[in-house]
Amino acid sequence: MIQVHQYEKWWIGLSIAVLAVISITVGVAGFMLGVQVPVPEALVNPNTVAQSGNFSNPGVRQLAPKKYEVYVRAEANPWKFRPDKIEIPVGSTVTFYVTSADVQHGFKLEGTNINVQVLPGQVSKMTATFNQPGTYDFVCTEYCGVGHQNMFGTLTVK
Amino acid sequence: MTASVIPLLKPTRLLYVMIALPVVGILAFTTLRPIQVLPRITLAPGFSLVDQNGARLTNEDLRGRIVLYNFTYANCGGACPQTSAVMRALQNRLGEIDAGEIPVALVTISFDPERDTPERLRAYATQVGADATRWRIATGDATRLKYALGGGFNLYYAPNPDDTFTFDPLFVLVDGWGIVRAYYKTATPATDRLLRDLRLIVDEARNSAGAARYAYEAAHVFLCSPP
Repeated sequence: MIQVHQYEKWWIGLSIAVLAVISITVGVAGFMLGVQVPVPEALVNPNTVAQSGNFSNPGVRQLAPKKYEVYVRAEANPWKFRPDKIEIPVGSTVTFYVTSADVQHGFKLEGTNINVQVLPGQVSKMTATFNQPGTYDFVCTEYCGVGHQNMFGTLTVK
Repeated sequence: MTASVIPLLKPTRLLYVMIALPVVGILAFTTLRPIQVLPRITLAPGFSLVDQNGARLTNEDLRGRIVLYNFTYANCGGACPQTSAVMRALQNRLGEIDAGEIPVALVTISFDPERDTPERLRAYATQVGADATRWRIATGDATRLKYALGGGFNLYYAPNPDDTFTFDPLFVLVDGWGIVRAYYKTATPATDRLLRDLRLIVDEARNSAGAARYAYEAAHVFLCSPP
């Protein structure tokens, strides 16, 4: 039998406990709290995304009362989200579909848990419900070129 | 006594076995994917409609059937996205999946109730070659349709000034428990793909009895879905 020092036993026990706590946390978050990582919703051709399909005419669409979807196209040169002004009524559930026409961008919507990478060729989908009226800013969170700091927009809930 | 007779049941080894079994099970499921299932996406909405024969059609009437929905309107022509050909192709090939005890139904919902009377829908059914025993074409109250289709099925549609509609082509696959299992956001999903997905639901409904049920639940938990 190998002699293990008492302190070392404590450290081994602590490491196992940390692993167990992390596993349980991930399990609870995934299966009980419904935390979801953004998954690619669909694949698109970034070269034609601005010419055809829903991203060629991006904007807000109403599916049903208090239920909306927004198609957002992120573009470099000029660095811009299209649309960069979004208005929805209070209490709405909004699903965002975001894609890039060129390079990698990011889409972070302040005040919600929406913060997603925007990759060319891939559609990112996130949903949020807006129960508080106000102005929510969204910004690009990936350095995407010299005009990166100009990539922002506002979502107004009233 | 038994604990010392069977070596695996010694307390320390039992602990190792108890840790190893789930780990091996998880690894086996995530890598080998022994069972494939379609994910349970969300609950399908409730609705009450009137079909091409003037008969009532509700979501509850469709319990126990696997249903493929599409959405259009009878006057859909010209540049309007056509989805009925896919439904008819599928209707003709439903015999390939033996779904005797788990019937498959096709339902087309029109979002133009003002013009799509049962007579108009009957004419449309003839036009698209719908077999009335398998494929029902229905519509209902405009406001409730908006909640059921837009709110429930995530279908975007909006009327235009020239009496046409703008809409995104969409097919939705709902299982016998009323759970949405697949969305196809295209006017032309491959019939083979639809048949494969139908077969997966039929197999799950048929095989997930008794102990096999836990294997199917594990397949759901570990997201063993076909690409």
